[in-house]
Amino acid sequence: MSDELYDKLCQSVVDGEPEEAAELAQMALDQGLDPLDCINRGLTPGIDRVGELFATGDYYLPDLIIGGDAMKAALAVLEPALTQGRERQIVARVVLGTVQGDLHEIGKTLVGTMLTANGFQVTDIGVDKPASEFVAAVKDSGSTLVGASALLTTTMLHQQDVIEALKEAGLRDKVKVMVGGAPITETWADKIGADGYAEDAISAVALAKKLVSG
Amino acid sequence: MPNIQPIRSRYRFEVLSGDQVRAIQDATLEVLDQVGIHIPSPRALDVFAQNGAAIDAERQIVRLAPDLVRQALAQAPRSYTLAGRVPGTELYLDGAATYAGTDGCGTQTVDFDSGVQRPSCKDDVAKMARVSDYLSSVSFYWPMVSAQDFGPLAPLHELDAAFNNTVKHVQSETVMGQASARYAVRMAEVIAGDRARLRANPPFSMLICTIAPLAQDKEGIEAGMVYAEAGVPVGFMAMPNMGATAPAVPGGALVVGNAEVVAAMVLMQLVAPGAPVFYSLLASVMDPHTADYIVAIPEKYLCNAAAVQLAHDWGVPVLAGAFGMDAAEPATWELGRDSVYTALMVPLAGADMITGGGMLKASTLLVPEQLIYDDEIYHTHRVLLEGIETSAEALAVDVIQAVGPRGHYLGQRHTRRHLRDIWIPALTHPRPAAPDHAQTDIRCRAKAQLDRILAEHQPEPLERAAQDELRAILEAARQESGA
Ligand code: B12
Repeated sequence: MSDELYDKLCQSVVDGEPEEAAELAQMALDQGLDPLDCINRGLTPGIDRVGELFATGDYYLPDLIIGGDAMKAALAVLEPALTQGRERQIVARVVLGTVQGDLHEIGKTLVGTMLTANGFQVTDIGVDKPASEFVAAVKDSGSTLVGASALLTTTMLHQQDVIEALKEAGLRDKVKVMVGGAPITETWADKIGADGYAEDAISAVALAKKLVSG
Repeated sequence: MPNIQPIRSRYRFEVLSGDQVRAIQDATLEVLDQVGIHIPSPRALDVFAQNGAAIDAERQIVRLAPDLVRQALAQAPRSYTLAGRVPGTELYLDGAATYAGTDGCGTQTVDFDSGVQRPSCKDDVAKMARVSDYLSSVSFYWPMVSAQDFGPLAPLHELDAAFNNTVKHVQSETVMGQASARYAVRMAEVIAGDRARLRANPPFSMLICTIAPLAQDKEGIEAGMVYAEAGVPVGFMAMPNMGATAPAVPGGALVVGNAEVVAAMVLMQLVAPGAPVFYSLLASVMDPHTADYIVAIPEKYLCNAAAVQLAHDWGVPVLAGAFGMDAAEPATWELGRDSVYTALMVPLAGADMITGGGMLKASTLLVPEQLIYDDEIYHTHRVLLEGIETSAEALAVDVIQAVGPRGHYLGQRHTRRHLRDIWIPALTHPRPAAPDHAQTDIRCRAKAQLDRILAEHQPEPLERAAQDELRAILEAARQESGA
């Protein structure tokens, strides 16, 4: 019986059905199943499958994003029921935003989606955010990674502000900073003292994994 | 005499029926009235509030009733003139012609000498202004790349480089914020002569992007108000991307973009009734795997042409997108295919202005000789749309009689007269003495043409006094910014 429910949970993520995923999660709890097993044997294989289908090109971005929504909807039911010592494994917490004066939303959001699908806990603070908001979000979420996006040659200067603000707050040695956006290059990242640069969302995931492991 | 050849199309291509135009306009009015637009500018919100719009001050959302929209837009002129800095550069935005400009705001340049890709600089803006001054396909100039060697003052330096290196009309898409906008207006006054002449014959206009979905940029919209008050024509460009920043259907993307542009134009009319404004809507489709804005896809061409109809239905001129394609390399099959559709559909639809020449990689990479290729496609379209004459002289029955069967037309005066009227594509059929004639590779020919223009063409220089005044304005801007 429980195996069948794990499969259904998995399938609700693959199909991108948030309401159904939440209902199934509640049903599992009502039946007395362990929430961590529901996550590890239902949701995680589901989102992995979504990731594979996206990687092969069978899935489009909305399939990926709504699959992630289904996972989140089920997690919202399951996580409060987790018992001490049996928490969900996350790769790392990361704060993501587009810098001040810059309203380009899509690249940053896509990076966030891919990080989430790969086990990161993402706090997306949105667009047009001053350095102080990156710092505040790091404090609130206890993140160890910051991603700053900039799409304009005039706003890329503010990526440096984020790094400076982290220094001023005494957080620079506790968090890694990665930068990205169309005008950003490796040279620029080095110049402003960022820890890494990635050209697209897929390489952003690889970079994030490298930064938090090393 | 400045060299400008607009496209005068004999045909009119309508993507949308009259009923479809109405359906889109009605849906747009409903969205403006019910959903509203995010406008994060206290000044703009005040203006809207004074004119009876519904304001949600906390969320900075403005909702516009259909009557307010219609009344405001009824004040916007359908026709006006853009000028250059010498006589003969006037562009009459009256529906009779399509004028083309370059693409703008790139970040990388393929170096003129070394051919190596590098960050863009002010000198690139100057050089390309000179090339644009020469080419008859270019009616107005967008500073093609960012003057990254001037940091936050880049936008004003781009204007300086443009005004100094072409007599043609200059349009910017980068001078944002009230403070910078005021400096740009002062620079334009210097070029025009004085404030009144700036209004009557503006040598400068501005294009500002709206933010999809349904929002405005604070710096952009506040600069817009400064321009509208000074009589500098100001346009708004929406770039809804189907699937990402707009519904994944062309109709819905048109509604979203239309609402953004209309809200901005309404604001301009409320601030400065009768201010010259123009409309621009470049909807496209997101790449379903990367979320990139796909620059070359049929839905975009359709929406571009539809946007021309929507603009004219509102009674304002329109700037449509052409060229500026995805491809990373010039002279490729991909680029040829894509350029033709974008650049042909919009003059056919009756666009007043088109832009996009000279840039690759989705308007980020300046490949200087690309403007030469685009020039050739432009002229092909110009001739195509001018159509065929059927006057007695054009049917030439007398000459046909004179030559009779067999023989040839080589020695006819009629031939001598009219062969000169025919535009010959110079990249594929260079003149014998042209420096590129010996070259067989089309890329070398394009580069040779570019090099020749850069070596030989000097636009009429800007008067010394004006040059000095521009420099003084740049210096004042530098001091104010503390740079
Ligand atoms: C769509 C678009 C817009 C839309 C944005 C809509 C929205 N809600 O996001 C609108 C129309 C609003 C817009 C406005 C403007 N834009 Co714009 N825009 C673009 C465009 C065409 C595509 C951007 C995009 O969404 N790409 C798709 C995403 C998926 O790609 P991406 O953002 O590059 O992100 C990927 C990588 O860069 C990387 N990445 C991104 N962020 C991060 C962060 C981290 C940490 C990491 C590791 C990686 C990473 O991974 C992402 C996923 O693969 C680009 C041109 C281009 N080809 O880039 C111009 C472009 C960026 N815009 C430009 C300009 C000039 C403007 C305006 C100033 C125009 C104006 N005159 O008003 C305004 C500025 C508004 C503002 N204050 O921000 C210029 C910038 C030139 C310059 N010199 O800087 C560009 C290059 C186009 C051009 N040549 O004119 N724009």
